[in-house]
Amino acid sequence: MNPFLVVRATIARHRWTYLLFTLLVAVATAIGVAITTQEAALRIGSARAADKFDLMVAAPGSETDVVLAAIYLRPGTVPLLDPAMVGKVLAEPRAKISAPLGFGDNIGGSPIVGTVPAFADYLSGGLSEGRVFAAEGEAVAGAAAGVAMGETFRPDHGRNPFLEAGTGRVQHPQTLTVVGRMKPTGTPWDNSVIVPIEFVWRVHGLPTGHAEGESRIGPPFDAARVPGVPAIVIKPETINAAYGLRNLYRTPLSMAFFPAEALVRIYEVLGDIRELMGWLALATQGLVVIAMLAGVMAILTLHRRQFAVLRALGAPRLYIFLCVWTQIAVIAVAGALAGLLLGAGAAVLVSHMITRATGIVLPAQIGPDEWLLVGGMIAFGLLVATVPAFVSYRRSVIQSLTAQ
Amino acid sequence: MRPPALSAWCGCGTPNTRRPELNASKPGNLRPPALEIEGLQVGYSNGAGAVTALEIEHMSVPPGTLLAVTGPSGSGKSTFLYAIGGLLRPRRGRVLWDTRDILGETETARDRWRRHTVGFAFQDFHLLPELTPLQNVLLPASFERFTAARAVRERARALLDQLSVPQARASTASLSRGEQQRVAIARALLFDPPVILADEPTASLDAKAGAVVIDILMQLSSRDGRTVIAISHDQELLKQFARIVALDHGRMSDEERRAAS
Repeated sequence: MNPFLVVRATIARHRWTYLLFTLLVAVATAIGVAITTQEAALRIGSARAADKFDLMVAAPGSETDVVLAAIYLRPGTVPLLDPAMVGKVLAEPRAKISAPLGFGDNIGGSPIVGTVPAFADYLSGGLSEGRVFAAEGEAVAGAAAGVAMGETFRPDHGRNPFLEAGTGRVQHPQTLTVVGRMKPTGTPWDNSVIVPIEFVWRVHGLPTGHAEGESRIGPPFDAARVPGVPAIVIKPETINAAYGLRNLYRTPLSMAFFPAEALVRIYEVLGDIRELMGWLALATQGLVVIAMLAGVMAILTLHRRQFAVLRALGAPRLYIFLCVWTQIAVIAVAGALAGLLLGAGAAVLVSHMITRATGIVLPAQIGPDEWLLVGGMIAFGLLVATVPAFVSYRRSVIQSLTAQ
Repeated sequence: MRPPALSAWCGCGTPNTRRPELNASKPGNLRPPALEIEGLQVGYSNGAGAVTALEIEHMSVPPGTLLAVTGPSGSGKSTFLYAIGGLLRPRRGRVLWDTRDILGETETARDRWRRHTVGFAFQDFHLLPELTPLQNVLLPASFERFTAARAVRERARALLDQLSVPQARASTASLSRGEQQRVAIARALLFDPPVILADEPTASLDAKAGAVVIDILMQLSSRDGRTVIAISHDQELLKQFARIVALDHGRMSDEERRAAS
């Protein structure tokens, strides 16, 4: 049995209508695919960006704010950690790296972040060129930061890159020279310029963590001479140490948390939104399938005499069933597959836009969830297709032949 | 397999105006079954009660008969055609093709019987205009197999040639109405059925195209020995038929038998 001749003819006759049905299915599928793909990409990208931030210590407040400011380098107001706590944490013996983070300046829109040399190296996993800063006036550029190797510049105060001279733009008198460039990390840090924390403290008129006149950078710091910082990243010696340090620094003056904990809370909200949007997408798909079904039923009513003629020519009922079922199956399969491509394309586009805006690389990839969604859409379409197919299967030949 | 040469019909020489000449694929082997109708009553319910659409106590149609059925609108002509074509279930009675009570058989058996024993031709042709003439003729083959056998494809081409249908046309929609009816007849003849049932085959054709179709039907009966049963009001067509049955209100009201002209 080969229903494709009839299917082809019917689709060709109603090609614009069938194209519209296919597009409707494609758009409905694409919405679902784009939502799940984007949500997964956000999770993976944001988790990857937080990968090197094992334990955060900050002033009591919102963990989410600290994560956004310290990991994703989003401009925001984060209370400063008490200087006494800063001194204590920076001297923590169970930490492989205890890195203070200081923000507040930019160069051409790239945030300037003060920290210790070990963290700059750890974050990048080795530099792509040059070396890590070794003096206060040296800097390491992120992979995508708009400063060149060897370039010397004066940082702008604040995070607004659009202030022009004479309109509130303040340049620090001290200069920085780029001595190294990080490997790409797929995080907002790719757009940053990392400098010694002492430089950040000095240009803002704060103590530099070392004795007066001492020009070295990095630990050990003089606990009595460190100012407050928005956050300290700790890379603990062991997992046990990580949990121990988290408990240790949960004090009235400080909070300690694993960024993953804060991300999980963000993901919960994201998951709720995804679930809501998922249901909306599912409802859209259901409505589209019902609309398509109604349209196909109307077309089939126009064709009932044609099917009756096929029966008169000797076509079995099953042939008629297959003709109708295949028509809808073609729409469902073509629409769902087109929707998969459309949804993946939309997700890639949105990911690209988010990456441009935040620096977080979002790997929008088609995974099992998306295949399941597309498979579900196809299965639903094929199942629903049995309804008009069965109606045509059962339709009286005589009534159809004599119908005007 | 090339079709036999076509003889000139009107002397103009163009393919569309040649007189189609049909050859059965198995010359002399066609043995149409005899038709016997016994106590047939077909009815339906119209809400106000049961309505009898057709009632024929007895009718006998020998093999190879050229039978026309005529009558006013609503007289039961189409019901008669569909009943003997095994397309409906009667209230009572039998339609015997030879000894086979076709209306008593399973639907699957009737479908298969219709496919190979009966060729239907309709007033409005009911072709798929998006397909080529050849694809339209091959359509009944798709009821059985995914791909038509080579012999069936060759027969389809030969039928189109014999019926002077230009096969080069990509679309059936571009054919004239007369050509389309000839495609429909070729489709009916694909499996070389011994019985042809035609429902107003010339009603939507002009006189010239109608004459060609009448000629084809004559050949199918007189030359190939097929039983041809046609519903028609076309006097030109009726003139050619050896037997004419008139129906009125579902009953046989008149019958004329004569030697075919």
